[in-house]
Amino acid sequence: MARVVILGAGISGHTAALHLRRQLKGEHQVTVVSPNANWNWIPSNIWVGVGKMTTKQVTFPLAPIYKRKGIEHVQAKAVAIRPEGDANCPKGLVDIVYTDPSRAGSTAQVDYDYLIVATGPKLNFAATPGLGPDANSLSVCTPGHAEQASAALDAVVDALREGRRQTLVIGVGHGTCTCEGAAFEYTFNVDHELRERGVRDLADVIYLSNEYDLGDFGVGGMTFAQNGFETSSKLWTESLFRERGVRAILRAHVERVDEGVLHYELLDGTKDRLAFDFAMLLPPFRGADVQAFDRDGTEITAELFAPSGFLKVDADYDQKPFEEWAAEDWPKTYQCPRYSNVFGVGIAFAPPHAISQPRKSPNGTVISPAPPRTGMPSGVMGRVVARSIADRINKGASAELGTASMAAMGAACIASAGMGMRKGTAAAMTMYPIVPDLTRFPRSGRDVYETSGEIGLGAHWTKLMLHYLFLYKAKARLGWHLIPE
Amino acid sequence: MDEVTQSIAQAPLPTPKTLRSRTSVPYQLMRFVAFNFKMLKMVRKGHH
Repeated sequence: MARVVILGAGISGHTAALHLRRQLKGEHQVTVVSPNANWNWIPSNIWVGVGKMTTKQVTFPLAPIYKRKGIEHVQAKAVAIRPEGDANCPKGLVDIVYTDPSRAGSTAQVDYDYLIVATGPKLNFAATPGLGPDANSLSVCTPGHAEQASAALDAVVDALREGRRQTLVIGVGHGTCTCEGAAFEYTFNVDHELRERGVRDLADVIYLSNEYDLGDFGVGGMTFAQNGFETSSKLWTESLFRERGVRAILRAHVERVDEGVLHYELLDGTKDRLAFDFAMLLPPFRGADVQAFDRDGTEITAELFAPSGFLKVDADYDQKPFEEWAAEDWPKTYQCPRYSNVFGVGIAFAPPHAISQPRKSPNGTVISPAPPRTGMPSGVMGRVVARSIADRINKGASAELGTASMAAMGAACIASAGMGMRKGTAAAMTMYPIVPDLTRFPRSGRDVYETSGEIGLGAHWTKLMLHYLFLYKAKARLGWHLIPE
Repeated sequence: MDEVTQSIAQAPLPTPKTLRSRTSVPYQLMRFVAFNFKMLKMVRKGHH
């Protein structure tokens, strides 16, 4: 009997757990260690943040699903991994602290034959003083945060109805943030909402980002083939900003958020401040705080994890200049180089480098987006690693590992605003591949015909469809595995 | 006017016809099918 332990029940961890359970015989054990009791379809938190959906509509309890599928669910937080075991146990171990209310705070160890680290991000609000819902800005990273943002937006609408001009800042709260796509989507949801409630005139909506240009989205921008021309995501995004009257502050690193005022530095080294009535600023991400120890108890965290806290996998982590970055640097199997039974997927794996060109201000401040690896790629990595482990258990330790390089897979990003079948609109983008490959696509690094951007009601229907489809899939209902990640 | 604001101010605006097409149900039904077909093709192409 083999035991596979998955740390995290987000998009990649949950996907891996369901696929493993399906591919492994009942004698093998699949265990999910997750501090959360609920699963959350994070992309729809944006709609919670403008009051169009409730927390209940974007979450569901994991326990009944795991009980039905025969997956062990341990509601706990992993604090350390011991890939060589310890003096008492030769198998790999994970140190956990329970978050399950019935035994919160008590500790235990979980042994494993295979381990998938899918811990997702730690929301690092502490990187910027005053950032976050416990301080002076809002977030939509969790349903709770999004509900708070929605209530604050209602207060802004009330003020606008009273004829008071309001400044709404939406974007990222640090120079090294990722997920600019989510900030972009929330910006246009807020714009849509203010228009729908008839109060847009007195609202100054500002998008604040660490991107060098609009349309960068942490992937270095895109080139589309459109109406017989190659056009850029920069022009496409700027057109949308002009049409909706949204201002932009780019190349910015937020240094501090005080009550009603944020302080930022620009890439040219100048500093400025911006007074606001509403600020939704996403935090930078770090890896979960998991330590690692060898059999003797010597700490090996720095060997297994990058300084950012993300797990090192089969990527090329050699430091090299931007011009030498290659698609081959990106991981394919997500296997840990030192321990062949440990894998890292989703946001938890350490990317070899950014995708957007790195830049620093004259003051030495890094102001460039970190690479996104959420949603579609996270799910694919979870599925592929699950298959690799199932093959090794079912066929033997020499079974070939599956691959899912971000330089060989595409992704779709749909920024949808509004709700319902007739009233919504969305900006939808596809890109292939996610990591540019100049060897295959010398002009822009991507296939210009598979990379696209369009705006309209149809894209909004797609976003709605994906919301219901992925919730159905995550609930492991009939035929769930036929729905692609 | 800073560089970013200037660049946005010079971006092309959609024509009334384009704006109408974005909300036209028959046209958007076609775009819905086309976009989802593109996504499926991408899934098949890149996901091993």
